Amino acid sequence: MKKLYITFYKKTILCYNSSMYFRKSLSLIIAKTLIKFLRTIGRGGTSLPGKLALKIYPNILKELSSDISSIVVTGTNGKTTTSKIISTILEQSNMSFISNKSGANLISGIATVFIESHKKNYKYALLEIDEAAFKTVSKHIDVRYLLVTNLFRDQLDRFGEITHTLANIVEGISNCPLATICINADCSLLSSIGKQVNNKIIFYGINQPFPSTDYSLSDAPYCFFCKTKYDYSYRTFGHLGGFSCPNCGYKRITPDIAVTTLKVMNEKYSKVDLIVDNNKISIKINLPGEYNIYNGISAFSIGYALNIDYKILISSLATFKSGFGRMENMSLNGVDTNIILVKNPAGLNSVINYLSSLSKPFVLTLILNDQFADGTDVSWIWDVLFENLISNINMISHIYISGIRKYDMALRLKYANLPEEKITICKTTKQLINIISDPLLVSNTSYILPTYTAMFDLRKSLKKQFKLKEFWK
Amino acid sequence: MKLTIAHLYPELLNLYGDGGNLIAMKNRLNWRNIECEIVKIPLGHPFNAKHYDIVFIGGGQDFEQEVILKDLKGDKTKQIIDAINNDVTFLGICGGYQLLGNYYKTKDGQTYDFIGALDLYTIGQEKRMIGDFMFSSPYINNKLIVGFENHSGKTYLGDTVKPLGIVKKGYGNNGEDKTEGARFKNVFCSYSHGSLLPKNPLLCDYILQTTLQKKYNITLSDLDDTLENKAHDFIVNRF
Ligand SMILES: [Zn+2]
Repeated sequence: MKKLYITFYKKTILCYNSSMYFRKSLSLIIAKTLIKFLRTIGRGGTSLPGKLALKIYPNILKELSSDISSIVVTGTNGKTTTSKIISTILEQSNMSFISNKSGANLISGIATVFIESHKKNYKYALLEIDEAAFKTVSKHIDVRYLLVTNLFRDQLDRFGEITHTLANIVEGISNCPLATICINADCSLLSSIGKQVNNKIIFYGINQPFPSTDYSLSDAPYCFFCKTKYDYSYRTFGHLGGFSCPNCGYKRITPDIAVTTLKVMNEKYSKVDLIVDNNKISIKINLPGEYNIYNGISAFSIGYALNIDYKILISSLATFKSGFGRMENMSLNGVDTNIILVKNPAGLNSVINYLSSLSKPFVLTLILNDQFADGTDVSWIWDVLFENLISNINMISHIYISGIRKYDMALRLKYANLPEEKITICKTTKQLINIISDPLLVSNTSYILPTYTAMFDLRKSLKKQFKLKEFWK
Repeated sequence: MKLTIAHLYPELLNLYGDGGNLIAMKNRLNWRNIECEIVKIPLGHPFNAKHYDIVFIGGGQDFEQEVILKDLKGDKTKQIIDAINNDVTFLGICGGYQLLGNYYKTKDGQTYDFIGALDLYTIGQEKRMIGDFMFSSPYINNKLIVGFENHSGKTYLGDTVKPLGIVKKGYGNNGEDKTEGARFKNVFCSYSHGSLLPKNPLLCDYILQTTLQKKYNITLSDLDDTLENKAHDFIVNRF
């Protein structure tokens, strides 16, 4: 008789009967009980149950997900916002689906989602998957639609180099030959996937530069294939744009879904014109910021791949509400508060571009943590162009800094030569919340930019103090 | 008064916030009313070392090393070696540090010849050496320097090169002999990328002082480093 040891809350249980059927049932029972237990005691319970179930029965995810078509969103930035838009599209199309809403995007979180919906007959799963975890998760699930949002430098201490991340994604795609893949045509790294796999590919892109294009930043200046410097006819953001290699001829291809005109970009939304299959379509994207135009059209491309009516796509993009921490809007004692997750230079630079365009006064809060999920190396803040905030410094009424690495962040702002009298370091989250939720101190709008674990801490404290809803619901 | 800094391959060797070192040098000069110009020398552009007081080389991804080696061959290598022998200040971080050495042998046994300006070499290995680390440096009265290292190459120093410091926590050059970084003439090298100079104002000022002394024979005035020291001490207190 085989022995099976299970370690559960530091106690090891020894089970003698370990036939496959027994293991599967056991893993389901334990995981489901654990989900209930964790919810009861007020914890999210989004990863641990799946982790344990996979340990007991490694095939659990594969078996539970075999009849479900998975729509996967991966890439460096914009995964959660894009997933949120896609979920609105699916809801408005009356399609039944499960999803990992709260950003538990490693294999354990994905397994938890399928365990929860076991025997509930869903047809689709909308899954946001970590770009490094994708190659493993894709072995277990049936990926039919894949969106790769973009590739930027992100937490290199965890992922290694950007080309390794790309290689991981390509390896993951080899596990899902049936998947239709939606790719950003403006990204020279991702566009190369088209030359590396045989899947059906839908390209989306933007045919003109963003107003705030900064030509100094690029994560991929040299040809992916021959290492010659790219020529650009225009750039939108970072290394994205109309690239072409003068040596080997590798270049941006004309996207299937192309933004032809940027019509309106204001503090609440953007309006753009698209060309799809020779049809001209006007769309409104219900979030401000240039980078959210990419998020909008990438979600559109998944809807297009799913053959969903343009009318539904247009109304979903115009009405969706942003997800957990991605420009989440709330009122704290009447203070209009916006939380925007920041985790890498490309993402934070685009938020700074956005903040620099605001014409009403606001309070800015930066919370920098350095736990595993944030990236343990905080050096990336030196790649962020905080100097660009100076152009709009009159609109910034004050800057608060908090988090484990608050002194590093404060130092960065000192070296960006932002006015010292406008900067205050808060030692605790409690102290910070008391200040930024005080309408006497914050008269208008407040933007809070936390890293990943800082966002969880903040959300937990806000939930307690202001009775906000549970994040996993 | 003015110092001119050359930033070699800014579009390629710019990982992990290495630019923070330039930001630190420029500000700490400006705050003392000394001008500072940073000149970017991208791939394919000519480099005349005579025009610069400090040359900065940061770290990059392996993908880009080959492109750079091709560009360095010939005149650029000669310019760099001559400049070092003429006591020009260099700051090499991570990949930039390795490039100044003799060669890099990959974990697959392939050898790349580097500039050969400093007597040191690097051996690639599977395991990356990653994390906060700390070393003491004789150039700042054996005080502590803190940083974050992230490298898979193990670097070994020859006899003519001195280490920048002695490792107290973390790996340093190779995780074996307790040395970290390198000092040769006015060349300073370290595996601590990102905010090496912002968080270690003593080292930053030592490098600037070395350069200014040669050019103008002046002594730097003091700055208020309260915040720099708080960020520095946070890491020291972690260990
Ligand atoms: Zn090429």
